Amino acid sequence: MNQPTEPPNLPTAANPPSFPPDAGLGAILDTLLKRPVVLIHALCDPRPSRHWLLLALAAVPAFALYGLLIGSFSGGTQLLAASVKVSAGALLSALICFPSLYIFACLTGAEVSLRGMAGVLFAALALTGVLLLGFAPVAWVFSQSTESVAFIGTLHLLFWLIATWFGLRLLGHLTKVLGVSERVHLKVWTVIFLLVCLQMTTALRPIIGTSEHWLPTEKQFFVAHWIENVFSAELTASPR
Amino acid sequence: MQALRRLVILCRGDSERIAPWLDEREPRWLLTCVLTIAAGCALYGGVVGLWRAPLQAVYTAVKMPLLIFLTCGGNALLNGLLAQVLGSGLSFRQTSLAILMSFTILALVLAALSPVALFICLNTPTPDSVARDTGHNLTLLFTVIFIAYAGVVANRRLLRLLERCCETPGAARRVFWSWLAGNLFLGAQLSMVLRPFFGMPDMAVHFLSDDPMRGNFYEAVFHALRHLLN
Repeated sequence: MNQPTEPPNLPTAANPPSFPPDAGLGAILDTLLKRPVVLIHALCDPRPSRHWLLLALAAVPAFALYGLLIGSFSGGTQLLAASVKVSAGALLSALICFPSLYIFACLTGAEVSLRGMAGVLFAALALTGVLLLGFAPVAWVFSQSTESVAFIGTLHLLFWLIATWFGLRLLGHLTKVLGVSERVHLKVWTVIFLLVCLQMTTALRPIIGTSEHWLPTEKQFFVAHWIENVFSAELTASPR
Repeated sequence: MQALRRLVILCRGDSERIAPWLDEREPRWLLTCVLTIAAGCALYGGVVGLWRAPLQAVYTAVKMPLLIFLTCGGNALLNGLLAQVLGSGLSFRQTSLAILMSFTILALVLAALSPVALFICLNTPTPDSVARDTGHNLTLLFTVIFIAYAGVVANRRLLRLLERCCETPGAARRVFWSWLAGNLFLGAQLSMVLRPFFGMPDMAVHFLSDDPMRGNFYEAVFHALRHLLN
């Protein structure tokens, strides 16, 4: 007859779910999408693992591929330039913000190692990159249908914001895993990270359009750069 | 016979009986959905195109199902990813099948409305008559109303199915709205790429416009709004 059974234990900070330390990239990405809390537990585990490295290896090509798609708007050398700039820009933004992320996480009272924090940051980047690849077919259709740099720039920005929002949600999961109630510092860090990423789009310009120079010769704040572009183009045809 | 019975159940929106179909590995049901979309949308497209010319009817009969399949294909990866990150618990295959099932309902509703559309078409001023602009506007109006109605019906059933399949009602709603936004966003642009659907009275019949990838739905709306406001 029916025997009384014990319900399965739910993953908590005291009872972390198991995740194999030698899991492959496919299993890591699958867990990142479906059960991010399990992956965060594994990333915060003090035992050595190569998860963070695999996540970085997934994030960089994903951003490079999306960069290639951004470059397809102008074509030519911009294909390579945009691909390199987008992947390098994402990586550089993460590196610039990593020290503050670690310190801010400590300020919230979270007990997390430097390696664990790097793992979570790469997981956020990988999730953003994979989601951007999901947007790629839609972005390609629009990049082939418009001449307006302002329009396609806004569209890429919108897709990046959506993908990044999902990526940064991992920080929320992290605070839950670590049992941290004070999240204000991580929210402040999120704003800083977004501002760094947005400025990076201007610092590495041109990413969508073309220029004689690989990198800009003049320094500019991203808001000023966007206003200049949008109002000069006014959503009319601009040279690619 | 079983396929027909399933289509009836699908139209009824009996999510308790429909939900297990998402777990089936056999491709027969998927093929039924694809064929129903092709047939239903082709029938409706043919009727709409008939207003302009018989050749336009053939072209639109091909383009209507193509629009659905390109939208589904273009958003397949994104919809699958969104379903997973939003906590629906649905796999990529289940996601694609659920969306195809909702488009199957749309195709069935459109096919069912085709005789009505044909009746309206036959009673509308023809493209070579003096009142051809009225005919064009009437065709546009009833097409928009019929597709909007079919879309609302299909999406209501999709939401009900998601509420049954997803782990929480909140996840179901989030997934539903994200899919709807993505499909509308891409679908609107693809309909611009695949135009003309029923053609302009003073233009020759074409399968696609001269430069189909030129032009952007949202820029066109923006310019139209600016023109109106000025």
